Order: sequence, then structure tokens, then C-alpha cells
Amino acid sequence: MRTILVLVRKDFANFFRNKAAVSLTFAVPFALIWLFGAVFGVNRKDSGPTDIPLAVVNASTNPGAEKLIEALKAEKAFKVITKYTADDKTERPLREADLAALMRANEFRFALVIPEDLFSEKTFGLHLKVYTNPRNEIETQLVNGILQKTIFSNVPQLLGQSLIARGRGTIGAERMDKFNQAIADNVARNFGGDPAAIRKGIEQGDFGAGGLGGTGAGGDSLISQVIRVESIQVAGQDVKSPVATRIVGGWAMQFLLFALSAAATALFSERDHGIFHRILAGPVTRAQILWSKFVYGICIGMLQLITLFLAGRILYGIDVEHHIGLLLLICAFAAAACTSFGMLLAAISSSQEAASGLATFLILLMCAIGGAWFPVTLMPEFIQQISKLTLVYWAMEGFSQVLWANASFMELLPTLGFLGGITAVVMTIAVWRFNRGKIFD
Amino acid sequence: MLSLENITKRYGAITALDGVSLQIEAGEFFGLLGPNGAGKSTIMSLVAGLRAPDAGRITLNGQPMSAARPEARASLGLVPQHIALYPKLSAEQNLRIFGQLYGLGGAILRDRVNEGLEAMQLADRRRDPVSTFSGGMQRRLNIIAALLHRPKLLLCDEPTVGVDPQSRNAIFDFLEKLNREGLTVIYSTHYMEEATRLCTRIGIIDHGKIPALGTLDELLLKLPFEEEIRFPRTEATTALVAKLGAHGSVEPGDEHYRFRPQPGYKLSNFYQLTESLGLPARLFTSQRPTLEALFLHLTGRNLRE
Ligand SMILES: Nc1ncnc2c1ncn2[C@@H]1O[C@H](COP(=O)(O)OP(=O)(O)O)[C@@H](O)[C@H]1O
Ligand SMILES: [Mg+2]
Repeated sequence: MRTILVLVRKDFANFFRNKAAVSLTFAVPFALIWLFGAVFGVNRKDSGPTDIPLAVVNASTNPGAEKLIEALKAEKAFKVITKYTADDKTERPLREADLAALMRANEFRFALVIPEDLFSEKTFGLHLKVYTNPRNEIETQLVNGILQKTIFSNVPQLLGQSLIARGRGTIGAERMDKFNQAIADNVARNFGGDPAAIRKGIEQGDFGAGGLGGTGAGGDSLISQVIRVESIQVAGQDVKSPVATRIVGGWAMQFLLFALSAAATALFSERDHGIFHRILAGPVTRAQILWSKFVYGICIGMLQLITLFLAGRILYGIDVEHHIGLLLLICAFAAAACTSFGMLLAAISSSQEAASGLATFLILLMCAIGGAWFPVTLMPEFIQQISKLTLVYWAMEGFSQVLWANASFMELLPTLGFLGGITAVVMTIAVWRFNRGKIFD
Repeated sequence: MLSLENITKRYGAITALDGVSLQIEAGEFFGLLGPNGAGKSTIMSLVAGLRAPDAGRITLNGQPMSAARPEARASLGLVPQHIALYPKLSAEQNLRIFGQLYGLGGAILRDRVNEGLEAMQLADRRRDPVSTFSGGMQRRLNIIAALLHRPKLLLCDEPTVGVDPQSRNAIFDFLEKLNREGLTVIYSTHYMEEATRLCTRIGIIDHGKIPALGTLDELLLKLPFEEEIRFPRTEATTALVAKLGAHGSVEPGDEHYRFRPQPGYKLSNFYQLTESLGLPARLFTSQRPTLEALFLHLTGRNLRE
């Protein structure tokens, strides 16, 4: 027992000597809990996502449509977009024809179209169109849910109008007006009130059935029978294995980050073996050592990604072969970015242990913020901003553009640009730190 | 061939080298003898261009030796103090990689790898991973790796640490042969015996300074005594020690005393004294003093501490 205690004490003594390990042990749990709290919105009083972009096209002249849009705007989950900004900075209302292009460009992934024939005099019920780019399962389900809720709780009024429109179609407009006037007079006589106001209410379809939308499952199913929601998927409709294709990018990035930071921090074992002294004494420069690691990282990363996608192809039927060129390109850029991240870790750490501890922490952090686990759109606004600074975000964006949205080279270019930019910045810092750091000493 | 002028090197608050000057001629086997932390490896790393001195000048064949001159470094081989090999790769793979970094290839590289492995008796283990080698075998490979590009100047930084006597002899023979063939060697060690056996000239180094420099004979002349007399530590000799104090220093060891007479003290006086105390002459052995004694004399400390 004494022996074990002595050995345990030795481990503690070693542990407290390693400042990086100590700070990771105590600081990391705090940081992670805080971060995941922020990502998942634990501390928000009104939970749920906010400001998911939702485009709304209103082709209907019906005042009820405006009401529906107001209701969507009031819904905090959505940031409603109704305007289209042209290249010359002029604005005009969004049109249905604009949607496909904007959704491909990932301006938004959900759009509601209130068509001209919101309701017709021929059939009873409403007609709505929902455009989706269901790149992310969780996000899509969530948005559909909130969208339905908002429409359904505003629907009774619209349905009333639909009823009147149908009546007008059947008995003629003049008689319909007379009929409405008669009912309004009757209501005013029996229950009190201003007949003109009551008639206006009737014409807007307000039969006092406002509670209908909120009466639970029964009400919903009744309503869903009279609402015809046409669902149009703008991207990914040809994707063979949608679920696997949607999540493969996140897997790939986590995997790559762990593998490549391990490769980069192997610099430490070479240093500890004195190998740098040997080869730097010859005609080899520090820069050559660093760039060799960089190139090696990209190669290993590419190999691993290719293996991963091949596995995805074999096991889940992810369509790799039709996108092979762009896929290799985005893989190379993702591998370069991940390698530069690993190099930076090696450059700022003092030992392999410190580097791998820091790597675990930063990788989990980046994957969480960057959207490898959980859709970025559902995170608080400020985290969404930070998200765009992570290489995980852009790499996943790239994978998704290639595999999901079937993007062209030109469409992929900005994403490659961001990844390349991140790589350049991170490598510059890493090389600078290496030259001042201890690894070659 | 190589000259260091007034070199100072600091690591933060530690002054590792403090105004060191050295001239090394082509063909020399030069020894740097000093304890751990004396600054031997620091000298090696400065000469190899791994670090820059804070003050002073290093020239190789009259050219300043700086990081910017890779060609100059091609004429230089470093045997690092650590075993700088890839443990998972085979002996041959290691040698090939280091050879290729020096621009070697094809038949030349193959021949040199073979030659080195033969010379150090490692040929039959060439395909085994280095991690399966004994310490002595790794040390031998560590030396071969520094010689593939046929440097003119070889820097050996404590190349025999942790080595069995057999490997040690193989290393000595190999280095002596290369030196006879014209290779200039700088050899650092904290073993007096190695410096004595191998080196044509020796610099004693301690605390970043070189207090004595020269051939073995020149160095030993710096000692104020020419001989040491060793005798057993017994009750009978205690009386002798008391009387010798006035004529030199007596250093007590575990079982023996070492008497180092003052300059001018005649050994005939010593034997008169022992006779008068009735101590037989066979108790006493006279020895030529060692570098160990010189180090103690110069620094007040033992080499191995
Ligand atoms: N990279 C380093 N950083 C800080 N101090 C160092 C470093 N390398 C050596 N030193 C210090 O410089 C002195 C000389 O070291 P070194 O040249 O390695 O001695 P030797 O090789 O003779 O044992 C020692 O005090 C050592 O602690
Ligand atoms: Mg040393």
C-alpha cells in the first residue's frame, strides 16, 4: 500500500510540474461546459434557435398573406427575408424565380412561397409551397416544425376567407355581399356591436375560430387535410445516400484534425531524438523541415480522406465518383488547413504532451463551433460569427457543396479561398513561432 | 582549419561559454575534456552552425561559419550527444535517409552505407530496426551516419556514453583510423582515459572557460608536481600523512592516499622519511600524474561529479 501511495504521489508531482496538463485539467472542463452551454443555448431564458434565415415570397394579393408574413417575422426562430438585392444594390421584393439560385449560393436554405392561388374559388383549402435545401437533417426537421406551427396557428382566418371565396364562386359576388350583410345585421341585433365592423370581419374570414390551430394533434390533422403544402427540394434531390452524405463532412473533419495534429506534433519526438541537430548540421534548413512536415501532412490527410470516402462509398453508397475532381480538391485544401493547425499547435507548445492536450481541447472546440456535430444555424448569433473563423466550418461547407449541392468549380472557389486563407495565416504564425520557439534548440 | 575567437554564448541567465578561443589545425584529434554542463555540447552546436554565438567569431578555413552557408556545413559531420536516429527504421534506412539529405545517391550511397556498416560490425543487423539495437550498437550507427558524406571535420559529442567496452574499442579504432587517413576530429568527453588515449591535443573545459590547452605532456607540465605517490590508508601511514602536510598535498581516497609533492621537493627526502617511520618501500607506488589531477588542480573539483 505504501508503495502504491509513493507511486501515486510521484504521478501527482509529475502532473503538477506539467503546467499545460494542469491548466488543461482545470480550465478545460470549465471552458467546455461554458461553450457547449452557449452552443446549445442552455442559459437562454427562451430556448430554441433564433434567426434562421427564411425567405418568403408573397405572390398573393390577399391581406391574409401579409398577416402570415407578420406572424413569421414575429417568430424568433426565423429571420425573414423578403427582399432581393440586385448587383447594383437596388432592392425589390423577392420572387419565386430567384429562390433556386440564392439557395444554391447558400444565402438561405428554406423558403416559403405564398402563391397567387393561395386559395381559389374552385377548391376549398390553402396552397403553400416550401422550398428546402435539406443539407442538415436536424436543421431541416426543426425548421419544418416551426414553419408548420406558425402557418397552422394563423390558418383558421385564412380558411375562413377560403370558405367565403368558394361561396362567392358558387352564388355570385353580389349575393354573397348581401348574404354577409344579412348575417352581420343578425349578429349585431342578437349579440350587439357595429354591423359594419362585423361584416368586415366576416369578409376577412374571421369567424372567431382562432383557437382551432392550437387544439393539438386532432386540430392539426384536420388542418393538414385542408392545407396543401407543396414541398420543393432545391438541392441534394439526386443524392443517393442523403443521411450519410450530410454527416460525412463532420466526421471527416474530426478525424482529419486528430490525425494531422498527431502527425505535426511528431516534430517533438524528432527533436527529442536529437534528429534536428543532426540534419540541421547538414545542408538542411529549418524551413525545409517545416515545409516537409506540411507536405507530409497534406499527403497523409488526402490518403485518409480518400479512404474515408471510399468507405462511405462502399458502406453507405455516398456518391463519390461523380464528384471526384472537386472532392480531391476540397480534400487537399481541408488537409492543408488541418496540417497548418497541427503545425501551429507544435509551434506554440513546449512538449508533445502539451501539444496533444491542447489539440484535444481545440479540436473539440472547433468541431462544436464549426458545426461538425450540430448545425451552426441553430446556435446563438455570436457563435455563428465565430463559426465562420474556423476551418471546420469552411471544410464542411466545401464537402457539402461538392457532395450535396453538386457545386461547380466556380461555386466552390470562394470556399477554397477561405480555407487557403486560413491555411496561409495559420502557417505564417506557425513558422514565425517555430523560428522563435524551442523546437530546433 | 577551424578557429574560435572569444566566443561567448548565453542561454538566458546562464553563460554557457565565456570568451572561449581555440585554433584547430587540419589532421588534429582534438579533445574537449570537462564535466557535465561545462559547455562541450554548446561548442559543438556553435561549430556545427546550429546556434549563433552572442559574441566572437567562428571561421572554417578562413570563412565565417554561419547558418547561411550550407556548403561549408557539407564539409562537417556531427555525431550528436543523443542517439539521433529514427528508432523504428532499420539501420540501413536511417543511413540512406541521412546520406540522401547530403545529396548522396545511387552506387556511391550504397557503397558508403556498406562500408560504414562493415567497419562498425553492424552489417549483419542492417535490416533490423534501430530500436532493437544495444546502446553500443546505436552509438556506432550514430557515428556512421555522420560520416557518409565524407566530412573533413568530424565533431564527436561524447560518442561513447553508455557503451560497452567492446563497442568502445571498436569506436576508438575506427576514429583513429579515419584520423590517420586525414580526418580532423573534435572529440568531447568527460572520461580522462579517452582523452589521454585518443587526442593529440586537449582543451580542459569547465564553466564555459578553457583554463588549459595543449598536448598531454604540455598539460601535465602545468602541474606543480611531476609524480604522485600512492600508499594504503592504514594506521601505520597516518603518522606519515601528518608529516607530509608541510611538503605537498595529501588527498585521501577510499583506501589510498595520494601525495603530490610541492615543486622542488626531493623524493629522496620522502623515502628517508618513510624509512625513519619504519614503513617498507613496497607500500609506495609512484605514478605519473593524470589529467584528473590536472583538472582538480585547475578547478578545485573532480572531473566526475
Ligand atoms: N538549450 C539550453 N537552454 C538553456 N540552458 C542550456 C541549454 N543547453 C545547455 N544549457 C546550459 O548551458 C551549460 C552548458 O551546457 P552544455 O554545453 O550542454 O554542457 P556539456 O555538453 O559540457 O555537458 C549548462 O549549464 C547547461 O545547463
Ligand atoms: Mg553535452
